[in-house]
Amino acid sequence: MKTLKQLSQEINKCVLCGTCRSVCPTFGVVQREPASARGKVALCDAYLNKEIGISEGFIKHMNECVQCMACYAACPNDVNVPDIILAARAEIAKEKGMPFVKSFILENILDSERLMPAAMKFASRLQGLLFKGVPEESGLHRRFPLPLIDERRLVPPLAERFFMDVVADSSAFSTAPTGHPTKGWVGQTTRPRVGFFAGCLINYMLPNIGEASLKVLEKAGASVVVPLDQLCCGMPALGMGDVETAKVLALKNLEAFEKYELDYITTACATCSDGLKRRFKELLSYEGEDVQRRVDKFSSKVRDITELLVNDFGFRISDFGFYKSQISNLKSQIVTYHDPCHLRRGQGIADEPRELIEMSGAKLKEMSHPCRCCGLGGSFNITNYDFSMEINRSKAEDIKNTGADIVATACPGCMIQIKDGLHQLGADTKVVHVVELLADNIDSR
Amino acid sequence: MLSHNVIKELTNIVGKDNIQTSKEDLICYSYDATNQKFLPDAVVFPKNVSEISLILKMANSEGFPVVPRGAGSGFSGGSLPVEGGVIVSLERMNKILKIDADNLIAIVEPGAVTGELQWEVEDLGLFYPPDPSSLKFCTIGGNVAECAGGPSAVKYGVTKDYVLGLEVVLPTGEVINTGTQTIKGVVGYDLTKLMVGSEGTLGIVTKIILKLLPLPEATKTMLAVFSDMRDAAAAVSRIISLKIIPSALEFMDKESISCVEEYSSIGLPADVEALLLIEVDGAKELIEKQAESVKKICLDSRAREVRIAGDKKEAKKLWQIRRAISPSLAKLKPNKINEDIVVPRNKIPEAIIGIREIAKKYSLTNANFGHAGDGNIHVNIMIDKTDRGEVARAEEGVKEIFKLVIDLGGTISGEHGIGIFKMSYIGMELSKPAIDVMKKIKQVLDPKGILNPGKIFPE
Ligand SMILES: Cc1cc2nc3c(=O)[nH]c(=O)nc-3n(C[C@H](O)[C@H](O)[C@H](O)COP(=O)(O)OP(=O)(O)OC[C@H]3O[C@@H](n4cnc5c(N)ncnc54)[C@H](O)[C@@H]3O)c2cc1C
Ligand code: SF4
Ligand code: SF4
Repeated sequence: MKTLKQLSQEINKCVLCGTCRSVCPTFGVVQREPASARGKVALCDAYLNKEIGISEGFIKHMNECVQCMACYAACPNDVNVPDIILAARAEIAKEKGMPFVKSFILENILDSERLMPAAMKFASRLQGLLFKGVPEESGLHRRFPLPLIDERRLVPPLAERFFMDVVADSSAFSTAPTGHPTKGWVGQTTRPRVGFFAGCLINYMLPNIGEASLKVLEKAGASVVVPLDQLCCGMPALGMGDVETAKVLALKNLEAFEKYELDYITTACATCSDGLKRRFKELLSYEGEDVQRRVDKFSSKVRDITELLVNDFGFRISDFGFYKSQISNLKSQIVTYHDPCHLRRGQGIADEPRELIEMSGAKLKEMSHPCRCCGLGGSFNITNYDFSMEINRSKAEDIKNTGADIVATACPGCMIQIKDGLHQLGADTKVVHVVELLADNIDSR
Repeated sequence: MLSHNVIKELTNIVGKDNIQTSKEDLICYSYDATNQKFLPDAVVFPKNVSEISLILKMANSEGFPVVPRGAGSGFSGGSLPVEGGVIVSLERMNKILKIDADNLIAIVEPGAVTGELQWEVEDLGLFYPPDPSSLKFCTIGGNVAECAGGPSAVKYGVTKDYVLGLEVVLPTGEVINTGTQTIKGVVGYDLTKLMVGSEGTLGIVTKIILKLLPLPEATKTMLAVFSDMRDAAAAVSRIISLKIIPSALEFMDKESISCVEEYSSIGLPADVEALLLIEVDGAKELIEKQAESVKKICLDSRAREVRIAGDKKEAKKLWQIRRAISPSLAKLKPNKINEDIVVPRNKIPEAIIGIREIAKKYSLTNANFGHAGDGNIHVNIMIDKTDRGEVARAEEGVKEIFKLVIDLGGTISGEHGIGIFKMSYIGMELSKPAIDVMKKIKQVLDPKGILNPGKIFPE
C-alpha cells in the first residue's frame, strides 16, 4: 500500500477544478466543501505540507467518504481520490493507533445506546470466526473494528446456518486430498476449476447467495471448491486504515486458495472481487518477491462471478436445456439493476450483470442513476448511519420510480443497504442478487 | 485576524453550526479553480438575505473583508480572500424557488447549481441556455457574478441575457431589488446589468429572476474536418451569413485535437488542421434542412469530410472530443495558462495565425480551441511552472497576445472575468476615464471597501 507521502504526486495532479463536487455523494448530503473530494484532497495536501496535523477535523473529514470512486471516474486529471483518502486513514491509524479508531467507533455507537444485544452477539461471534487462524499474539483479535449495526437498520437476520457450515455439512461435498471439503471435484477434472470466495456478508447474513452461486457455477460447467479456511477479505479493515490486519487477512486467504490448482477464483461480492483483484497486490507489494509472485498469480485468477459466467464461460442459460424463456418464472417481471461502485468503477463491469438479467427472462428497466452509490461505504454506514441512509435516499427513490418488481445487484453489501432504504421509503421492491435470478430459473425447470 | 467579539457576533447571526474557523475548514475555502490559496479568517453559511445583510453591516462597522463564494470553480480568483476576512459561502442558499411555465421565468437562490436548474426546467419542456462547461458544479450566483457563458452563446447569448432581476445585498448591508419579473422594464438605471459580471465586488446576490425559453424540439450535431484553418473560418462566416445560427459552433486547432485520445479512435486523418463541431436546434423538419445546408457549406468551403450524428449517442461522442481537450492538454506540459480572449468572428483566422506566431517567437507550446461562433477562443499556453525562463516568456507572450486581440477589436476576457489574474492587463483594454468611472461606482456602493477587496482594479 502506498503511504500518503508516496501519493504526493497523485495529490499534486489535482488542480482544484471542482468537477468532483458534482458526483461526490458525501458532498451531496453535507453541501460543504470539506465533505467533497476536492476538499479532502486539499486537506491531505495541507497535512503533507504540515499546515495541519492529525486533528479531529482531519479525521472527521477523512471519514466522510464512501469509497465510491465516482470522483476518480469524473476527474479530468485522473486523480485517485479514494486511494488518497485510504492512505490518509492508514496514516491516522498509524499515528493515533487502532484503539483510537476503534474508540471512535465505539463512541459513536455504544454511547448512543443504539446497540442491540443481538448485534453484540453477532459481533462477537463474527469476530471470533473472522480471526480463526489469525495468530493470537498479533493482537489483531481485539483490534478488529466491530461490525456493529444500528438498531434502526433493517438487516437480514443472522443466518441460521452460516454458508461455510452449509458447505461443510453438505453431502454433495467430498473430501479432497488436502483434507478440505470440495464440491464436485476430487483430484482430476477436465472442467474449469473454480475456487469460491464467500466473503463475510454472504457467509453470515445471506448464505442463499452463496448457494445460488454454487448452483449456477456448477450448471455453467465449473467444478467448484470452497476452502473452509478462507477469511474476511480485509477490505473493511483497510477502509478503517488498519493496513496490518488487511495484510494478514490477504496472506491467509492467499494460503487458503493456493492449496488447489485453480483456474479461477470467484466471488459474488463486488467489494471482495475488487479487493482480491486489486488490493491484495497493493497490500502485499513490499513483502518480497516470492509473495509478490504468489499474489500476482492469485489475483490474475480472480473474477467477479458475473464476468466469469459471461466472459470466461460464455454462459447462456438456454444452452443447458433446462430453461426456456417461455417458462421463466420471471417473464412477467420487471427488474432494474443497481451498479455496485466496486464493480462498475472498480472493475469496469457493467454489461455482464445486465446480460445475466436478460438471460433470466426478466425485462430490464434502467433506473435514472444506476451507478449512483448506495451509501454503504464499508464501515461508513456503521460510523455514520444517518449520513449513509441520506445518501441512500436518492437511490431508493430512483428504484421506486422505475416501478420495477425487483431490483437486482451484484453485491450483498449494496443489497442490505438498498433493502433498508426501500423499507424506510415504504417501497416493497424485492432486492436480489443477479445470481439468484439465474438460480431461480434453474429450479423452475 | 478577526476579534473574539466579531466571531461571537457572526455566530449570533448565523448560528454556531454555520460558522467555521478551524484550520481545516479555512483551508477548504481558501482556493478556487485557479489552484491558488489564500486563507480566510472565517467561513459563514448564511441561509437568507437578512443574515447576509447583518454580516455586511457588521463588516462595515468592524472593518473586515467579506468575500462571496459559490462553488469555487472560478478561473480568475474571484472568490479568493486575498486580504483574509470572512467567506460568505452560498452553499446553503441553493434552492430553486419557483419555475413559472406560464411566464417563462425561474426564481432561484444563488447557490443553486446551474445544471440542476437546467435539468429541472427541461423536465417541464423549458430551456435555460447558458452552458458553461462547469455547469454540473458551478452556481447560478457565480454565473451571474462572472457573466458565464458557453457554446450556446452564439445563438442564445450568455448569463446577462437571461437575468431579468436580482435581489442584492449592497456592501453597506442595504437590500435592493433590481429589474423586473417581466421582459420589459425601463424604470430607472439598469442596475441588473451593473451587477451581472461585477465579480462579487458590488453586492451579494441573494435571489435571481431568470428568463426561460421553450425547449427546442430537437438538435442535430455534426463534425466537419478541414485541412486548412482558413477554410474552416470561411465556413463559419458563410454559415452565419446564410442566416443559420447554430446552437453551437465550436472550433479546435491541430494541437488541441492531437491531445485527445478519442481523436485517433474516431479515425480522423493525421493531417487535419481544424475541426468544427456544429449543432443546430429547433423544429425537427427545420433542423434536418439546416443540417444539410451546413453540410453543403462546409463541403463547399473545402471540408474534407462532414459527419452528422445519427442519434444522441453519436452526438455525445462528438461532444466528447471537444470536452476532452481542456483536461487532455496536460499531456503537453504540466501547467496551463488559459486565456479566454474574444475577437470579432471574422477575425478568428487572423487571431489564430497571430497567436501562433507569438508562441513561436517566445518558443511556447500553444493550443487553441473554443467558440468559433462568437469569436471566443481559449488560448492555452502550456508551460512547466518550475521553468522560470519559460514562465517569463509566457508572460511576455500573453501580453503580446492581448495586444493583438485588442488591435483586432476584441476583448481580453470573454467569460472568466478579471479577478486577480488579469488585473494588470485591464489598462490595455479600458481607457483611464472608463476605469475611473468603475472605481467611482465601487466607491459609492462600497465606501469602506469591504466587499471582495483587491480584485479587478490594480492598486
Ligand atoms: C472545468 C471548468 C470549466 C469552466 N468552463 C467555463 C465556461 O465554459 N464558461 C464560463 O463562463 N466559465 C467557465 N468556468 C469558470 C467558472 O465555472 C465560472 O466562472 C462560474 O460562473 C463560477 O461559478 P462559481 O459558483 O464556482 O463561483 P465562484 O468561483 O465561487 O465565484 C466566482 C465569483 O463570483 C462571486 N460570487 C459567487 N457567488 C456570488 C453571489 N451570490 N453574489 C455575488 N457574487 C458572487 C465570487 O465572489 C467570485 O468573484 C469553468 C471553470 C472550470 C473549473
Ligand atoms: S476533479 Fe480531480 S482535479 Fe478537479 S478538484 Fe476533483 S480531484 Fe481535483
Ligand atoms: S470516493 Fe466517493 S465519497 Fe469518496 S471522495 Fe470520491 S466521490 Fe466522494
